[in-house]
Amino acid sequence: MNYPIWQLDAFGGGFLIALIAVVHVFISHFAVGGGLFLVLMERKALAENSNAIMDYVRRHAKFFLILTMVFGAMTGVGIWLTISLLNPTATSHLIHTFVFAWAAEWVFFLAEIVSILFYYYTFDRLSPRRHMLLGWIYFGCAWMSLFLINGIIDYMLTPGAWLENRNFWSGFFNPTFWPALFFRTFLALMIAGLFGLLTSTWIKDREVRHTLVAYCGRWLLIPLALLILSALWYKAALPAAQQEMIFQTAPELKIFLFLFTWLSPVFVGLGLILAVVRPMAIQRPLALILLFCGFCYIGSFEFIREGGRRPYIIHNYLYSNSILKDDLATVQAQGVLNTARWVKNRTVTVDNQKDAGRELFNLLCLPCHSAGGPLNDIRPRVATFTPETMGSFLAAMGSTNPYMPPFPGNKQEQTILADYLTNNLTPPRSDTGLTAAIDTSAPLPFDPETATHVLLASTDRSMTMSSQPALSGIDLSFAPPTLQAQLIERSPSPSVIANNVTISYRILNHQPLLSGQLKGNGDGVYSAQLPGLNPARNPFSPHVIAELTATQDGQEIAQTTTRIRISTELGCRSCHGGSWSTTGAGLSRETATHILASHDRRSNTSLAEAHRTGTIITCSDCHKSSNQPGQPDTLNLSAAMHGFHAGFLAFDFESCNYCHASNFASASNTFDGLHAGLGLECGNCHGTISDHAASLLKHEAAQGKKMAVKRLNQLAGTGEVDQNEIVARTPWTMQPDCLNCHEDFAPPETMDGFNTWTTDSAGLFHNRTDEAGVLRCTSCHGPTHGIYPADSEGNGQAAVLQPLQYQGTPYPISADRGCAVCHTMDMEDEMHHPGSLANFRNRLD
Amino acid sequence: MNPLQLIPAADPLQVPWGWFQIFLTATFLFHLIAMNLMLGGTLINFFRHVRGQYPADLLEDTAHKIPFSVAFAVNFGVAPLLFLQVLHGQFIYTSSVLMASFWLLIMPLLIAAYGTSYFYSFNFRCLSNWHTVISGLIAILMLGVAFIFTCNLSLMLNPPAWTAYFERPEGLILNLSDPTLFPRFIHSVLGSIAVAGLGLALWHDWQARRGNSDSAQLIPADLRWFSGATMLNFAFGFWYFGSLPEGVRSASGFTGSLLIFFLLLGIATAILALIAAGTLRVRATAFWTLLTLTAMVLVRELVRSLLLNPWISTTEPAVTAFQYSPLFFFLLTLAGGLWLIWFIIRLVTSSTQADTKEARS
Repeated sequence: MNYPIWQLDAFGGGFLIALIAVVHVFISHFAVGGGLFLVLMERKALAENSNAIMDYVRRHAKFFLILTMVFGAMTGVGIWLTISLLNPTATSHLIHTFVFAWAAEWVFFLAEIVSILFYYYTFDRLSPRRHMLLGWIYFGCAWMSLFLINGIIDYMLTPGAWLENRNFWSGFFNPTFWPALFFRTFLALMIAGLFGLLTSTWIKDREVRHTLVAYCGRWLLIPLALLILSALWYKAALPAAQQEMIFQTAPELKIFLFLFTWLSPVFVGLGLILAVVRPMAIQRPLALILLFCGFCYIGSFEFIREGGRRPYIIHNYLYSNSILKDDLATVQAQGVLNTARWVKNRTVTVDNQKDAGRELFNLLCLPCHSAGGPLNDIRPRVATFTPETMGSFLAAMGSTNPYMPPFPGNKQEQTILADYLTNNLTPPRSDTGLTAAIDTSAPLPFDPETATHVLLASTDRSMTMSSQPALSGIDLSFAPPTLQAQLIERSPSPSVIANNVTISYRILNHQPLLSGQLKGNGDGVYSAQLPGLNPARNPFSPHVIAELTATQDGQEIAQTTTRIRISTELGCRSCHGGSWSTTGAGLSRETATHILASHDRRSNTSLAEAHRTGTIITCSDCHKSSNQPGQPDTLNLSAAMHGFHAGFLAFDFESCNYCHASNFASASNTFDGLHAGLGLECGNCHGTISDHAASLLKHEAAQGKKMAVKRLNQLAGTGEVDQNEIVARTPWTMQPDCLNCHEDFAPPETMDGFNTWTTDSAGLFHNRTDEAGVLRCTSCHGPTHGIYPADSEGNGQAAVLQPLQYQGTPYPISADRGCAVCHTMDMEDEMHHPGSLANFRNRLD
Repeated sequence: MNPLQLIPAADPLQVPWGWFQIFLTATFLFHLIAMNLMLGGTLINFFRHVRGQYPADLLEDTAHKIPFSVAFAVNFGVAPLLFLQVLHGQFIYTSSVLMASFWLLIMPLLIAAYGTSYFYSFNFRCLSNWHTVISGLIAILMLGVAFIFTCNLSLMLNPPAWTAYFERPEGLILNLSDPTLFPRFIHSVLGSIAVAGLGLALWHDWQARRGNSDSAQLIPADLRWFSGATMLNFAFGFWYFGSLPEGVRSASGFTGSLLIFFLLLGIATAILALIAAGTLRVRATAFWTLLTLTAMVLVRELVRSLLLNPWISTTEPAVTAFQYSPLFFFLLTLAGGLWLIWFIIRLVTSSTQADTKEARS
């Protein structure tokens, strides 16, 4: 943040450095190994007294001289220039910290130049002993330059004790110095063999060619074996964080790991073929292919090594966006625009917001990403986000995606950057949220003078969701809603009818028409699961009305209606992209494909391909859901979903709404009960997304699931509650207990219901009964997230059909001393729960 | 916008400032000589091709030396750029980013120039009438590199010009409005022709002393290049000096006095070099020219110091505990490296006829 940013856009994202660096390291390793190759080949020529081989040495030396001096040395300068342009802060740090290592390397470069020039130009002038001595001197100097640069390069990956003592030697002889030195030495010899193969296949004499190809093949294969051993040593020397980043965390490195791993047998195979086949027409292309493989090999290695540093450019010291780790908190407090030197828009107004967004983009994104370029293009990555989810993603950077640095700006900058990324850098998303049709359902009539029964019904939860598997091709394994009902015979001493009654249901506004019977449990609770509910798309109707009828001896004795909400309005597309389904009312196949591709990338699955061929992907096949066992080693579905996504969402109460249609901004607002009306948010009961996820993950971690531990580590420090204090819970059965706040059913003294859970499903709101043990809570209060008086704004009366039917008010059944609904008279005792005879506190007016 | 707020904070130094200033000045002098031989030698060969009166074998002899000069010019350029980055990183990194697209262009230009110089050298006899074009191409590529360097090293001294970044952040600022830019560039190019002419004279003088009497006849022509370019450079040198800000030209105090001293010393030794060249005393010319170059390198450092003075006082590197052992390591390496180079040269130059015979057997 000290320096201006070169606004490269398409050629950013490491493209330049990758291009120049890979070419340079390929040739510079050749410059090291090739020195030894030349001198040993010359010795072979002398030992065998072979003019043909000596001629080859001369020609190879000329090729070597031009390639290493013109391209090797100049691209070396090029790398230096490039890194100083792309990250001057890091370059300055390296130059100042290791200036004398660089200077010493320059001395060896000078000696290299002198010795190789003399070597090439004195073939016919010096005695073999003197000439070979020049070759040895060249090789020694070249290897010393490798020795020196190796210390600096690996310092960036593993600074080791330098972080504590700031000592030159601690940084130079860092934890990976020695394995890297051996690794690179063997790599250099191997590349010398590859170039040797290339030039030797151009020898016209068949026998000489074959002899030298076989000889060069040994230069390829023997160092390769040693290289593999040193690579294992290198890997073992890496600290845990870098190992995890390379081998587990960073999805972009997988292709390079794959290449690096599988090119080794390719070298062996092609090398052996080359040693056996004799025709030049086959040998030359093979040698060229091998050389190209070598280029990919070293390129893969360099990508892996550099990737291992993420999100730092100097590990644990300097982030890739040029912010010192120690300065992060200060920058976050003061803001990027106030801290960076090369900023024009320090104060943001409506007029300069876009420019300020661009400046934030330059400072924070361009160091790693290109805009429309071949490497690390940020555009497709952000194009799927909305401004809100982008902002949330930025806020959570660095947790579940630890290859990204934490967002260093303040809340305003987060919004500005998110807006720039999603509205300016990429075209704004055209389709917006869904609009729900207003339900015109009216409550059924109820005559308190003549009615013999009261039928109370509700769904178990009001937040039931569906991914519409048949349409989207992905089954997120949400449990279908359960319709529950209780039938009460009205009298001064009413009773719950448990037997000899039939309660049937009919879904009024649904195609196809659904109907059936509720099954009694013998204790007066009748229930039926309702799978296959699909809300209408045009117009979008995210809830349906169930009409329930109680009959006894063929006689209809009670009838009521209740709202069933089945939200297909899943927020996946807010980050994963895609439009709303045109045939359904939610998740589209396009969004599902993106989700599965992301899953494949991170978890080595192949779900996207299966999805493409028509298979419905069911999450609970692997992840335990509320009604499917899943696989024993994987996280349960709730822990997996919340644990993973928590790291991509701001750690606040708003985050829930990006996935769940759980606020008033969504069409199928599934949290519109009294609590929502009072201003409570999901987090009041469930905690922030981070804490919520931690409670689920801790349970899984206790089962020995490593992924849960990993996720917990990633989320450490991001929640409002100390992770150690969070109580583990199983999903679906252990939920926030209503009595956490409503202690003894009294008005709440706190609005923090998080971290004390029901011990089992019996304690859940829809399973719990009043103190008399007769009535389910939901019978009088409505479903969990839609308790009466649920907001009726925009939804007509659908949310409160029953209270309106039985008592003409939207409040809970029997509110305001309305005991007569069941008791046919006023009552004196609070037999259901304390306070049940008090006037309702939270009036809508 | 106040340019002062744009100047980045400097990183701490590992040993006191003076060490780096010595290394910077010394290594730059070597770079300057090698670079002058490279650029000037190429330009002289190009002009000689154009005129078409110079013997082809002598042009070929020079052509063979150009790749060497490129190798050493680049290598000797690494060290001063390194020490410059240590001392003035906050300025040079910034100016480099402001003109990044051109700054990075140096690499392909150098590759093209170096590669073409090898092509020119290895294929000299097969090029028939293409010598002028090829040598001209090399010269243009080298001039391109030189111009970009001049732009950057002047831009780094001119923080008020940096605010142009906010209008052109694509790395395309060339500092063309800086009045010092063109006189400085021409002064450098003419200097390279002078030094290369002198270099050729020294080469031919050395050959003449080894018994090649034909070479002696070439010396006057070589020195004419030296004298002509040097005399012209007086004019461009004064233009360059006149283009510097008033605060630099009339600087007082210790730095100002040193500047005037070394400037006058440089002018005086240049006059002495011209007199020596007029009497064909090659080694004396070389001696006075070396003094001129040394004086001018010091003038250059002092001008830079004066130009940066208003900005540098607020951006001095933080003082931390110095660590000397890496310096000792470098000094040992440098001593060892120089000994090794001396050893290599001895190894080659002490080669006997018998060695050559053995090599060819």
